[in-house]
This record gives sequence, structure tokens and C-alpha cells, in this order.
Amino acid sequence: MEVNPILSVDKDPNYLNTQSSVPGLANLFRVEDVLNLARANSLWPLTFGLACCAIELMAGGAARFDMDRFGFGVFRPSPRQADLMIVAGTISRKMVPCIKTLYDQMPSPKYVIALGGCATAGGPFKYPGQYGILEGIDKIIPVNVYVPGCPPRPEALIAGILELKKQILSGKTQGVMSPASVRDSQDSRPAEYKNAVSRAEFRKPVAAPPAAAPSTTPAPPTAPTPEKTS
Amino acid sequence: MPTLTEKNIKNWLLELIKPDEFNEKDPKASGVLFEAIVPQSKIREVAKGYLEQHYFLESLTAVDFAECLEIVYHFNQWGPAQRSCVKILVPKETNTAPSIASIYKSANWFEREVYDMFGAIFTDHPNLKRILLPESSDIFPLLKSFKGEPKGADVAQSLKLIQEDADGFTTQYKDTVILQDKKNSKDYYLNLGPQHPSTHGVLRVLLHLDGERVIDGQPIIGYSHRHHEKMMEIQNYVGCWPNMGRLDYVGAMSYNFGYAVLVEKAMGIQPPPRVEAIRVLTTELNRIASHLLWIGTFLLDLGAFTPFFYCFDDREKILDILEMATGERLTYDYFRFGGLDKDIPPEMVPAIKEFIPRFKARLRDYDALITKNIIFRKRTEGLGIISKESALAYGVTGPSLRASGVAFDLRRNEPYSIYPELDFNIPTRAEGDVFARYWIRTKEMEESLKIVSQIIDKIPAGEVTLGKLPKNVPKGEYYSAVEAARGSFGIYLVSDGSLNPYRIKLRTPSFSNLNAIGDMLPGCLVSDVVAVLGSIDIVLPEIDR
Amino acid sequence: MPSTFVIQEILKIILWGTIVVLFISVNALFLVWMERKVSARIQLRRGPLHVGPHGLLQTIADAVKLISKELVFPKEVDKFGYWLAPVLVFAPILSAFLIMPLGKNWIIRDLNVGFLFVFSLTNISFIGIFIAGWSSNNKYALLGSMRAVAQNISYEIPLLLSTMGVVMAAGTLQTSGLVAAQKGSWFIMTQPLAFLIFLCASLAEANRAPFDIPEAESELVAGFHTEYSGMRFALFFLGEYTAIFVSSAISATLFLGGWRGPLLPGLAWFLIKVYALVFVIMWIRWTFPRLRSDQLMGFAWKILIPFAILNVFVTACMIQFQHFFK
Repeated sequence: MEVNPILSVDKDPNYLNTQSSVPGLANLFRVEDVLNLARANSLWPLTFGLACCAIELMAGGAARFDMDRFGFGVFRPSPRQADLMIVAGTISRKMVPCIKTLYDQMPSPKYVIALGGCATAGGPFKYPGQYGILEGIDKIIPVNVYVPGCPPRPEALIAGILELKKQILSGKTQGVMSPASVRDSQDSRPAEYKNAVSRAEFRKPVAAPPAAAPSTTPAPPTAPTPEKTS
Repeated sequence: MPTLTEKNIKNWLLELIKPDEFNEKDPKASGVLFEAIVPQSKIREVAKGYLEQHYFLESLTAVDFAECLEIVYHFNQWGPAQRSCVKILVPKETNTAPSIASIYKSANWFEREVYDMFGAIFTDHPNLKRILLPESSDIFPLLKSFKGEPKGADVAQSLKLIQEDADGFTTQYKDTVILQDKKNSKDYYLNLGPQHPSTHGVLRVLLHLDGERVIDGQPIIGYSHRHHEKMMEIQNYVGCWPNMGRLDYVGAMSYNFGYAVLVEKAMGIQPPPRVEAIRVLTTELNRIASHLLWIGTFLLDLGAFTPFFYCFDDREKILDILEMATGERLTYDYFRFGGLDKDIPPEMVPAIKEFIPRFKARLRDYDALITKNIIFRKRTEGLGIISKESALAYGVTGPSLRASGVAFDLRRNEPYSIYPELDFNIPTRAEGDVFARYWIRTKEMEESLKIVSQIIDKIPAGEVTLGKLPKNVPKGEYYSAVEAARGSFGIYLVSDGSLNPYRIKLRTPSFSNLNAIGDMLPGCLVSDVVAVLGSIDIVLPEIDR
Repeated sequence: MPSTFVIQEILKIILWGTIVVLFISVNALFLVWMERKVSARIQLRRGPLHVGPHGLLQTIADAVKLISKELVFPKEVDKFGYWLAPVLVFAPILSAFLIMPLGKNWIIRDLNVGFLFVFSLTNISFIGIFIAGWSSNNKYALLGSMRAVAQNISYEIPLLLSTMGVVMAAGTLQTSGLVAAQKGSWFIMTQPLAFLIFLCASLAEANRAPFDIPEAESELVAGFHTEYSGMRFALFFLGEYTAIFVSSAISATLFLGGWRGPLLPGLAWFLIKVYALVFVIMWIRWTFPRLRSDQLMGFAWKILIPFAILNVFVTACMIQFQHFFK
């Protein structure tokens, strides 16, 4: 069966991989080490917030948590100048082409962090039969680090970026893509879609409610006195 | 025969329009004064009458029943609670209804959404296209006959959309947008977004420019659609709390408040006094945090990078306080029906007492550095004016409305909780420009601080829960609205007495406020577009729901 | 066989050329670090801390990373213009180092047109910005470069007019002469208005906030260099920081007495004054919001130019009438 090339972007040999695999005399191992050291200490994220996690991303860059200490503070608005795409928030299907275009526009080497539950696997918006979101950004682009949470604290985000830094220093920056068949076990719960109710039935007046919840309202309803009916 | 000048919309409706069905309702429980079901042919007349009487269209939605679709219009006025509900029936065979978009400008987007979600066609609508779902979508999700998509559909549709996009980004709007810029013409189209440094989330504004001057600007939404309304239909009422925290994540307490007030009104229960006090306390603190975030990002749009950090610093203090009570920094779901999730810890009150004077000093700093800054004043004064007529036509609410001189605040006009007992002002300003909207929000922060100072010493002791409550809401239709940081947040609930809501419509303030941009953009420069967009304070996920 | 003079000149060119290029690289690295630290402190935070002591090696990491990025040639860009633009933006600024007096008789070439030489060459960098925006095939870039051209044309006039007062008072365009004329008092004290106008105009020429509309981040994504990545983008960055240094250097020469000062050698004083002005420029950037493009042009034409002309007039009157007092 023919696989859409987008779905196997992580296996494309033309994607620049910074892990050195050149043997023999032309061993650039040390140069790659220096370059990886530079890349790890100077990650420029793309300003790309989709939903709630974007606020925690902004808080991560703000004065209290200050990602700039580690070198990750220069947020670039143009994808051509960024090397880290932090997908922060739920990915609605209408947004997918934009994300793919932005990812393609970034020059290599580039990295992706999936911030939050929604970018990892759909988050709280994944319910049986959902029609609007993409369950996890790793279904179309390779992801290097997943930061779970709803939303994750800025400290978690910084921990995630430091994890990415470790990956870059070791040279193993090939991102991971997760095909649709994995991790769908939650979807096996039955969907509780109900049928439409008849309007005539719906608008029939309701009988006197039974003695309701324990509350501070006055005495439970009794039969209406004749004078009070309107 | 009463005419409209008699200012009694009810009599006018009964005598002139002669609705098919007319029911008085208890505003305390259902949120509306009456409900009128009119034939389709008369809805335009009704809408004209309401507009002449200075009612605004608060919400327009549909409910899917077995025989027909019921389109529900809620009208309200800038004054004490005067909400009324008008309905028309759309039989499934014809599936058409007249559009009132020519009368109420806000109906344009509301009707597009009803078309998008239910498939109802509105005749004479100027631009009946999908608004939330991608153009090439072929589902009508809020119909009860839609039982969800199969597994793997998300990847399939994503790939299809990527392919469509590769054929040209503007193919999504074939009829409304000219694909090729005309040769030898000076005007062109520029997309602002959906990824744009002005941190509003994923909004796309299609600008029609002549050099740097805007001829027309059209906001395109739907890039953050997270199907809250459908999701809530298959969950039980308690399961809907996380949704309320994620609609407007910056000011989530108000949304919690709205949902709690709705269901409590519907069930007829009254939370204990301690709960009411803590609810108002946390909501007002959250309102301050929301306005702080807005000021930071608004000034970032204007090019001042530093206030962002100061505002976030203050906001972090508030988040620390709220985290003590709720455990969350951002997407709160702290309220429960008749109570709260858990009581506030003892260290919270001293922390708030320490925060109040610190923040008062910071407000003076903001005043000196921002409000009196000449570059800021020149960038914002006289720009993006919302007139009262425009605000009425678009249903603008919140600080944007108060900046146009209308003192409409649901905490005063449709009071809930303990707001009637508190002493606070509703700041208004007459100009209606960007600077006025900024000024109102700074004043609102002061007023919220005033409310917090009033409550902090007088929180009654007692329980924070009402114990076990029934899991279902009594059958009926309920509307309740609260004043969120961005405007009036309303929820329309249709409950069939079962464990799940039958239909929940979330009337979010940013949806109507963003719609009003259409009047403000022509004639601006590109820099002004960013300032105007920033000033109406939108949060995209609450628009796209 | 070329004469000794020619050989001397060639050696001099090579020597000074190397020194200048080295200096610019180190200076740009230092200035970027300084900007990040200054902005961080103004914004209640610390800035780069972990990459080297106090984050001093941060810019080196940035530079190496930029060098190692994939060189992207977006489809449908004008290839020659896209390649040429960063070079055109960066190279002319180097000419400023030719005429800068670093001490008594420490100057590479004491041209008799002095700093006019620099201003005329730096206009080429605006042509470079325009080519960058045009060849990128991107509407944002085009908007950014249009704004840059309008801004440059508008602010060139007050820039030069404000220096006319100084030139008239000193009687020479040569930079060494200008520094020599400040023996008694610095020109900032006799021509304060000219100094302020020069500061505003040089901020605008360097595309620094509050005049940074060509690369207005929140409006135009990244302005004229939206489509540039890697080393080409680094050249734009380098150009911008070198321009800040150069305009501070010229301000220091014209208004703050150049290398003059007690005790310390001339070079030390020069650098102190230049970096103090650079700090002020950075401070201004992080304090004010951005002007709108029409307000920017209005500011130049309606406020700066009239005041600059007034300054020239008053200076001329005083020079003329001082003969009456002698």
C-alpha cells in the first residue's frame, strides 16, 4: 500500500541528521561535536503558540523562569531563523497545513518539542469520534521531546528543553513519528452519542419534581394553593 | 395597537407579530423574561423591532430535535436584565431559514456557525460559508445524527488538507478572495497569521491593502476549534468542568462561575455564603491576572518589550495565590455545583493581603510608564473607534463596550452571587478608541482590587460544599450570563432531564467582539491593525470553541 | 618594481584591514551579549548565564550555530539579489573605521571629507535592505524594505544638518580636526540640540527602536529579513550591531570629544564613551514602544528638520557675531 510521503518524513534520508555516521578517514566526528555543542546552547524557538500551553510558554520566557539563561530566549518570528518549533496547544485540523508549511520552512537542523497533552496525543479534547483535532503532532512531523501536562508548568518546559539539549549533544536528534495505530487504546471506550429527542415530547410540561437535593432553599414543593396559580 | 415607542417589546410582539406560541418564563431560573415562537416569515420584522428598541443580539444558535431544527435568538438590552428569547422552527425537509444578517451585523457570524454545525441554510446571507471547520469539510457535527468520525480520520483529513493547501493557500476562499493580484493594480492581499508574533493565538486576518493602508480586513477563525459543544453533549455535567477551564484559559474562573451559576439556577440550589465569597475573591483576582496579561501582550504588539515582563511578574504573584487554592496556574476548574473543589488554605489570605499594597504601587508605575508615555498615546488615541451603534449591531460587551460610553456590566445589570453587596464602580469612557479600552482595563484592575480588599477580611466560615447533589439537571431551557474579563459570557443549556446536556451553547464575548473589527479596520495602516486587534482583547480558543 | 610607498600602503591596508575585521567580529559578539544582558536586567531577569562565565560565550554559540545551518534558497527568490543583499548591507559600514580617530595621530586615513565619506557609503546599505526585501518574494519583506527606504531618506537630512553646526564651529570636516577643536569644551555642551537630533537620527538610520519599523517584529513577522536564514541572517545582525557601534563612535567623535580625556590613553577614553552611548541606545530600545511609520516620517520632517535648520542658523549667527566681540 502506498504510504503518503508526509507520514514517513522521519525515514527520509535527505533530512539532515546531525548524528555523525561518516566512517574512516573523512571522520568529521570532532567538528560535529563542536557544532552540536553550539547548537545545543543556542536554540532559537519559533513564536508559535496555539492554545493554553502558549501562555505557559510565554511565562517560561518571562522574568521568573527566564529561558534566556540557558540560551533559548531569542524567539524568532520567522521560521527561517528559528531552529526549534515548540508546538504548544491543541492542533485543530484546519491548522495542520500551516504547521506543516512552517516546519518545512525551517532550515535544518531543526527540532520539535510537543508541549502539553494536546500536542502529544490529543489531550483532554480526544474523545471517541472527535472530529476537529489532530491527536498529537507526531502524526505528521517528527518530534524530539514530549512534555506532558495540561498545561505543563514552565519548569517542565525548561526540563524538556534541557532534555533536548542532551539529545543534541549526543547527536541523536532524529525525531520520532507515531503512526495512527499506536496509542489508540483509549478510543476503545464506547461513544455515548444519543439520538435526537422529539420536540413535542420535549415541550410537554414537566410533572412536579420530586423532593430535590439537600439545599438551603425553603420547604420542598407542595401542591400549589389555588390562590397562587397564575 | 401599541407601537414600538411604547418601549414594551412584549406587548408589541403579542399584538403585532402574533407569535405562534408565547410563554412567560421565570427569569431567575431560566434567564429570560419570555419565550416567543414566531413563524419564519416574521423573524425579520421581529429583528427590526428589537433593533429599533436598542436590543442587541446576544446569541443565535440552533437545537436539533427529531422533527425540526429550532433556531433560538436571544435578545438583551443595555440595562437591567431584559433578556427575551425568540425561536423559529426549521423543518428538516426544507432546512432553510431567513437570514437577519442585514439587520443585525452580529448575525452574520452566528448564522455561519449554525450553517457550519447544523447545515441550516440561511437565505439572503451575504457570505454563507463555513466558519469553524475547514471549507472542504462535509460533516455537520452538532446534528444528533452525526455520531462521530472513525479512528484515523484525523490523519486522513489532515493529509487531505495539506494537499489542498499545497494547491494554494487561498483556494479555501475561492469565491471571496481574488487569487491573482490584478496586473497594474496597486492593491494586494496580505495574510496576517495564523502564525503571527502578535500573541493572540491562531487568528488569521486577510487584509486587502493599498500600499500600507487597509481597504478591508476579514478575520478568518476556526484554527483552534476544539469541539467543546459536541464534547459536552456526550459527557455528564460534572465531566464538563475541564471544558470550562479551557475556553478562556486566561480568565478561567469567570467561566467556572458562569457554569456554576447556570446549573445552580437550573437546579434551584444556593451555595453556602463561604463559597460565594471565595468564588468572587478568586474570580476578581483572576480578572486582574487576565488584564495584566493583556496589557503585557498589547504593549508587545506596539513594540514595547519591557512591560510584558513586569506584567507577567505581577501575574505570577497572583498565580501563586490561586495555585494555593486550586492547584492550577492556568486552566482552573475549581468550582463545583453548589460549592468548590476544596477549601482555601490558611496561608492564602495573608498572601493576598501582602499582594494588595504591592500591586497598588505597581499600578502607579504602569500609570507613569505607559499611560503617560507620549509614543503610546500617539499610537492609540483616536484609533479603532467603536461607536455605540456599531457596538449594538455587533453585540460587543465587556471593556470594549464600556470604553464606548455604555455602563453595561453584568455584575451590576444582572447581578449574581454576592456582587449586589459589594461596593465597586463601573468605569466608562466616551471616546471608544484603543486608548479608552486600555484605560478602562487599568481602572477595572483597580476596581477588582477594591473588591478583593472588601472581601478579604470578611470571608464567612462554613462549609464549601452542599454534599451529594442529583446528577441531572431538571428538564428545561436555561440561559445564564456572567461578566468575564472579556465581556459577557453566556451559556444556553437545553436539558432533557438526563445525565448529559442535550445542547449547550457557549456564548463567548470574544466571538462578537472580534466580529466588530470589520468596521474598525478600513483606513488603518498595518501597524494600526495590530494595535486595534490587540485592543479588543480576544482569546482564540474561546472564539473557536 | 613598485615603490616603497606603494608597498607600505599595501601592507598598511592588509594590517589595518585584518585588525578592523577582527575588531568588528569581537565587538559584535560583545555587543550582542551586552544587549541580551542589558535587556534582561531592564526586564527583571538575568539573561544568558550558563554558556560560559556570565554567558560570555553565548554569542559564539549563536554564531557557530548560524554558520552550521542549512543554506536555504527559497523557491522563486531573485537569486542574485538574495545573495547580494546581506553583503551590501554589511560591507559599507566598515568604511567608518577608516576615518575614526582613536588617539592623537592614530587614524587610518585622515580624509579631508571626514565623516561625510561614511554617511555617503552607508546609504548603500539601505539599497541592500531594499534589495533584500524585493528579492525575497515575500510581501512582509517588501513592506519592511519600503518602510526602510522611506525612513532612510527622511532621516538622512536631519542627520547631516545636525552635524553642520559642529562642522561650522570646528571649521573642518576632518575627524582629527573635529576632535582637536574640542580641546576646551565638548560640542555636546555648546550644541546640545544638535546632539539630540543626531542621536534620534542615527537611531533611525540604524533601524533601532523606537524607529525599528522595517523589522517590526510584531507587525511584519521579521520585516525585510523574513526569508533569510543561517549565515546570511547573521550578516544582517552583524551589520546592525556594527551600525550601532559606528553611530556611537561618530557621536563620540563629534560631540563627546573623541579620544580626549585625562589620565587614561586616548583609545581607552574613546571606547568608554562609545560603549556608554551604546548602553544609552540599548536602554532607549527597551523602554519605548514603536512609532508608526507615518508618525516616524512626521517626526523627521516636521520636528527634526526644522530644529536642525534652526540650530544651523543660530550657530552661524553666533560664529558671525563673535567677531564683533573680539
